[in-house]
Amino acid sequence: MTTGGFGIIDLSWWQVVLALLLVIVIATVSLRQRLGLERDLLIGTIRTIVQLYLVGLILAAVFSAARWYWVLAILVVMAAIATHAAVSRLAKPIPGVYWIAAAALTISTAATITYVIGIVVQPRPWWEPQYLIPIAGMILGNSMTSAALAGDRLQSDLFARRDEVEARLALGFSGLEAVQPLVRAALRASMIPTVNGMMTVGVVQLPGMMTGQILAGASPLTAIRYQIVVVFMLAVATTLGSLLFVRLAVARYLTPAHQLRRYLL
Amino acid sequence: MTSSSEPIFRVEHLSLAYPGRRGQPLAQILTDVSVEVVRGGALTLVGPSGSGKSSLLRCLNRLEEPTDGVVRFDGRPITELDPRELRRRAALVLQAPVLFEGTVRENLMVHAPAVTLDVSESRLRETLSEVGLEAALLERDAAMLSGGEKQRVTIARALLRDPQALLLDEPTSALDPPNATLVVQTICSLRESRGLSIVAVTHAPELVRRLGGALLYLVKGRVQAYEPVHGAGVIDNRLQAFLSGTHP
Repeated sequence: MTTGGFGIIDLSWWQVVLALLLVIVIATVSLRQRLGLERDLLIGTIRTIVQLYLVGLILAAVFSAARWYWVLAILVVMAAIATHAAVSRLAKPIPGVYWIAAAALTISTAATITYVIGIVVQPRPWWEPQYLIPIAGMILGNSMTSAALAGDRLQSDLFARRDEVEARLALGFSGLEAVQPLVRAALRASMIPTVNGMMTVGVVQLPGMMTGQILAGASPLTAIRYQIVVVFMLAVATTLGSLLFVRLAVARYLTPAHQLRRYLL
Repeated sequence: MTSSSEPIFRVEHLSLAYPGRRGQPLAQILTDVSVEVVRGGALTLVGPSGSGKSSLLRCLNRLEEPTDGVVRFDGRPITELDPRELRRRAALVLQAPVLFEGTVRENLMVHAPAVTLDVSESRLRETLSEVGLEAALLERDAAMLSGGEKQRVTIARALLRDPQALLLDEPTSALDPPNATLVVQTICSLRESRGLSIVAVTHAPELVRRLGGALLYLVKGRVQAYEPVHGAGVIDNRLQAFLSGTHP
């Protein structure tokens, strides 16, 4: 289905089956140690193969169709899945959270992609799926995780620190002023993994995209240039994503009369 | 409108309900409550736990939004006032004193960015002494104070806003008896010296007796009794029954 590029060994399905033997090692450990993971392992193995195979088929079709609207459709589906994943990690529902997450992820991803694709990488045409889809995927995946982290922290802090918030309200603070320390804590919590990641990137582990490019035969020096762009791109996307999400979400907990909607906590 | 005969708070047919979660019915907290607090007077809210005392208190400074009825402050419906201004004029003191990270001084100086507050050195010292605390406390880490000191710092913080009314939500229930007595004394002397109107949720008979005024007995969000504490009002054994929530 795929033709190998320069310097890449095209894996046959037989070679993939050989890799499947590795799963037997895991199954053996699970059985011997009575971990009871065999069922999940089986499902996980099947899902890995089926999901990736389907994604491969779809991407191959989109790549060969070479139409901007197909690329856009893929991005919309990716954004919808990321939105659902970000929302489903929240402990308690927030009214309208789907729209909030969708807006936060879409705006942060669109803004970052516009800059990276339009100004930094500049592929021709701009919607070239080889660039747009993997880059959007990385951005969405990271924004989703950080928005979920921020939302989770905001929610647990609003509950744990509700008296503190109401003490500020009772002292004459506006709603937004009263929750500001909590918003800050949630943003910090969501950005720390990104900032920490920048400290150790390439030292502890080669980033996935860089690994992929090197495996695909790109020069490591090309690969690192891409990786540097990716690191900054993901940092800004996660920052924007969690900022938007927290700002929009916290407003759901406040009323125009500067009240905390305790019953939502 | 704001003549001195006008009560500081007038609550008319107030009801409060919380929206139910997905598919669940409304949670009715308060039903048709009407009550007044005269200027400089006192009102004590008593009743079994879950009877809506704290919710009623929180309606007075609009931390809660009634689903029905009107709350008037100084003659005006509170929905016509800026809630932030209302909360400065009707200051709430919570059961568990909330102090922020930092020193006592920093806690006293806390204020919304858009508001100017006189927090001169002399005013801070004066206010601390009003609640029976020494000026030396100003530089102390607020987290290191005793429960009684913390509660009095939160009262001082409210006083710096020159409130007309104090709303007290079980101000002494988290304190040991000596500290509770000190806080009761502080509240009563402030009421005298500043002419403050006081609305208190409390289980402390000492505070009820010393505040005098009226007593509102709530059960399941409805008024069961509303009468003066002294004079022809509640006698001791009935007060005990009210406070323990066992009055029929």
